[in-house]
Amino acid sequence: MAGSQKCVSRRRVIKTLGAASATLAAAQIFGIADAMGQEPSGQQSVQEFTGPGANPYWTSPGQFATYPQKAPLILLTDRPVQLETPRQYFLSTFTPNDAFFVRWHLQTIPNAVDLKEWRLHVEGNVERPLALSFPELVARFKSVSVAAVNQCSGNSRSRLQPRVAGGQWGNGAMGNAAWTGVKLREILDAARVKSGSVQVQFEGLDRGLGPKGFGSNRFMKSLDLTDSVLDECLVAFAMNAEPLPMLNGFPARLIVPGYFATYWLKSLSAIRVLDAPDDNFWMKAAYRIPDTPRGTTTPEEMKSGKVATVPITRMPVRSFLITPDGSMKIPAGFPLRLRGIAFSGYAGIKKVEVSTDNGANWSEAHLGEDAGEYSFRSWSLDWTPKSAGRYSVGVRATDAKGNVQPDEGVWNPGGYLWNKIERQEIVVGNAS
Amino acid sequence: MRTRKWYFMVVGALSILAARVLYADFRAGYYTPTGPETIHQTLPDVLSTDATYDAGQYPIYYPELAPGEGKAEVENNCELCHSPRYITMQPALPAQVWADEVNKMRKTFGASIPEDTAQKIIQYLGSHYTPETRKR
Repeated sequence: MAGSQKCVSRRRVIKTLGAASATLAAAQIFGIADAMGQEPSGQQSVQEFTGPGANPYWTSPGQFATYPQKAPLILLTDRPVQLETPRQYFLSTFTPNDAFFVRWHLQTIPNAVDLKEWRLHVEGNVERPLALSFPELVARFKSVSVAAVNQCSGNSRSRLQPRVAGGQWGNGAMGNAAWTGVKLREILDAARVKSGSVQVQFEGLDRGLGPKGFGSNRFMKSLDLTDSVLDECLVAFAMNAEPLPMLNGFPARLIVPGYFATYWLKSLSAIRVLDAPDDNFWMKAAYRIPDTPRGTTTPEEMKSGKVATVPITRMPVRSFLITPDGSMKIPAGFPLRLRGIAFSGYAGIKKVEVSTDNGANWSEAHLGEDAGEYSFRSWSLDWTPKSAGRYSVGVRATDAKGNVQPDEGVWNPGGYLWNKIERQEIVVGNAS
Repeated sequence: MRTRKWYFMVVGALSILAARVLYADFRAGYYTPTGPETIHQTLPDVLSTDATYDAGQYPIYYPELAPGEGKAEVENNCELCHSPRYITMQPALPAQVWADEVNKMRKTFGASIPEDTAQKIIQYLGSHYTPETRKR
């Protein structure tokens, strides 16, 4: 009797377990997808090019790739190396070194540097040429730090219409770091600039395979000796209190606060004082902008040959929404915090405004800690979308000199100076 | 035997009903075998204490160029100075823009590409990388 009862109960247990697993299996096969009214979506890869329309993504659509000292970044090109920083890294005011974007011009870029041999040469029109070793650079001059945004001249180039050839960056060819180094002025003073000098030229360890005398052979940039930005320039040996990653210019690079990154020479090896304006390709032909308001023109005007150009210099004011990034719906009534960054190459950020109705109304955001006028400035704004819908969230920054982001793009053949108000669609779903 | 069969049919039907009630508010347990590729982590380097700071070699990620006449000319000329990703990264561009780019490489950057080879490259880019022709 006892035996048979045990047997029954065992059978019951098996049956119950069977029913339970059948329930789960049924849930997998019929119940759930039906209940949600849709099939689960897989993750689809993005096509790796965009155009002829504007790139619709926040960053360029390339694959992720790994490089020495780097987190997986978005690959633009592998030789020379150009890597874009993914959006989420801009949630912090200081961009991590391993996520900082990379852009080289020439294919022969340093893999290794022997500090026993490396010297920073200060030469040209000076009375006392110098060849500074790394310890001399660090110890001979006073160390100073500055927080400054390094942004590629062609950041957001993929937004232009019509599209222009060049590195097809989204918004991630920028980064902010605390740069520590020595003042360029002190180095120049130590070398004693001769009278009659007009410019100072910078060159790094990178070389190209093109013929001598061409831009494909050497990359050099120059600044006027009368340019007040020289007083703020650093030769930096530290980035966020660490040595510079090789791909970001180990052992030292030039910092030109407020100016586009084209002047921020990496793996600096020569500071050359010139007694005549630099007419090398990278000054005379490249990195030039139309001498017009906002540096904008049209393809037709360019073709007419009447557009005068000047070297690019300071970065116009920009701002970005970093999170939420629009990749997931937000439930109606959810108390959201919009967060992002703003910066300007002309002055510190005075105001960031946010519109959640495609620019009809603007609310002033809360500004985060001020790390200096050339740094990213974080901002945040709490927003509770009341009802389901598609919201166009725009961000507009104003700097202390009164420069405001416009709602119009620019066009120039280099694809430079993009600073139109950024918009992000936020989809709000029903919460009940 | 017959009751047993009935028993399983009833349990099965109830299971489906129960599942719809139990799991009506969420979806779980789905995995796709076709996700994006993973990325390997790299071994940490063995570091020396000398004065050489070595980041190692930079990886090449060779893109797939469109097959067709002129591809060999691209490989043998353009790739001397830069990766073909300088082509595949670009948006779909009009044929004239590609011609301008090739001419810029020759005249402005000093690439020693003979005229007939340059024409083949221009023809190739204009045949595979324009808004009308670009496929990948």
